[in-house]
Amino acid sequence: MPDALTIPPIDEVARLCLSTGQLLLQNGASGRAVHEAMEDIAHAFDCDSVDVFCQHAAILVMIRRRDESCMQMAHAAEHGVNLRRTSAARQIVRDLAAKKRDCAESQVLIDRVPETTPEYPLWFVCLSTGLACSAFGRLLGADWPAFFPILIGSSFGQWIRHTLFHQRHNSFIIAGIVSFHSAFVAGLGARLLGSIHVLVSTVSAVLLLVPGVAVLNAQIDILEGKPNLAAARALRVVYLLMFMALGLAIAQALVLP
Amino acid sequence: MNALLLHTLHQTFFGGVAAAGFAVLFNCKPRNLPFYYGAGALALAIRTIGQQFGFSLAVASFFAALLLAIGDRAIRNLHTPSGSVLPLVGAIAMLPGSLAAKVFVNVFAFLRTGQSPGLPATVLIWEDSTMLIFTLASIGTGLALPSLIPAAKTKGEN
Repeated sequence: MPDALTIPPIDEVARLCLSTGQLLLQNGASGRAVHEAMEDIAHAFDCDSVDVFCQHAAILVMIRRRDESCMQMAHAAEHGVNLRRTSAARQIVRDLAAKKRDCAESQVLIDRVPETTPEYPLWFVCLSTGLACSAFGRLLGADWPAFFPILIGSSFGQWIRHTLFHQRHNSFIIAGIVSFHSAFVAGLGARLLGSIHVLVSTVSAVLLLVPGVAVLNAQIDILEGKPNLAAARALRVVYLLMFMALGLAIAQALVLP
Repeated sequence: MNALLLHTLHQTFFGGVAAAGFAVLFNCKPRNLPFYYGAGALALAIRTIGQQFGFSLAVASFFAALLLAIGDRAIRNLHTPSGSVLPLVGAIAMLPGSLAAKVFVNVFAFLRTGQSPGLPATVLIWEDSTMLIFTLASIGTGLALPSLIPAAKTKGEN
C-alpha cells in the first residue's frame, strides 16, 4: 500500500490509465488486456473502484478513491498491431504494480513508448511479409514458379502500405491500392514464369491485408462480454476485406488468362 | 502413407514460415521469433492431421487453436487471464484469408454479371461464406476458451 506522500492526484492516475489503455488498444491488445492494465494501474494507486468503457474509437475511465472521483475520456486513433509496444506497456504496468515506479515516471515512459520501441528495418519487414504470403501460397497449393512472384508482389505491397500509412491516407483506400498492386505483380510474374496457379498467386499475394489480429480479437471480445468493441472491430474487418477483394478482382481481371 | 506424411510436413513447415513472417510484421521481439514459428507450425500440423482424419476445416481449426491456447497457458503458467499473444500469432497462419477473398471476389463477379449465373453462383457464395464464418468462429473460440475457464473460477472464489 503506497503511503500518502507517494499517492498521486486522482486525475493523474486517470490520465495514466487512459494513456496506457490507448496505447494497448491502438497496438492490437484485446479488450480484456486493456481493461486489466487500466484496473491494475488504478489499484496500484489505492483507488477503491475503476470502471472502464472501452470502445473502438474511444476509451472512458471512471475511478474512485474514498470521497474523490474522476472521469476522463480519450480518443483511440487508427488500430494496428505492434507487439513490442504492447509488451513495453505491460512491463510498465507490472513495474507500477510492484511499486518500482511512480505515476509521473510511468506517464513519461508510456508517452515515450512509440519513440523508444525498436522496430525492424523496412526492407526486413517487407521481405518477411513477402515470405509469409509465399508460404500461404504453398499452403494453398501454389506451385514453385509462383513462389517468387508472390514474394515480390506482397513485399512490394507491404512497402506501398507502409508508405501510404505514414502519409496518413484512409486505411480502406490503402487496402484497395495495396491489394491491386500485390495481386497484379504476383499474377503477372507467375504467368510470365509459366505457373499454372496464377489465380492462387494473386490471392496469396494479398493475404498480408487480412486483419488477422483484429478478427481474432473481435471474437475474443465477444466471448469475454464486450460486444460493442467486438462489433466495431468486425464491421471494420468486413469493410477492409471488401476493399481488399475489390483490388484483387480488378488485378485478376487484368492478369488472368 | 508417405504422401500424407510429406503433405503434413510441408504444411507444418510453411505454417511456421507464415506465422514467423507475420510476427515480424507485428514487430515481435527477435528472440521470440522461433516460438512464433513453432506455434504456427504446430497449429498447421494439428489442423492438417485433423483434416486427414476426416474433420472439416472448421473443426480441425478449432482443435488446433484450442490445443495451441491450452499449451501456451500450461507452459507459461500465466498469472493474467489476458495471457500471451503467442497462440494468437500462431493461429494467424490458419485464418482462411483466401476463402474470404474468394467469397468477396465471387460476390463482385455475381454483381457484375447480374442474375445470369443463377443458383449455382449464389449457392457457391453461401457455401464459402458459411465455411468462412464457422472457421473464424471456431478459431476464435478455441483461442479464448482456456482463458475463460480459469477466469470464471477466480470470480467464484472471490
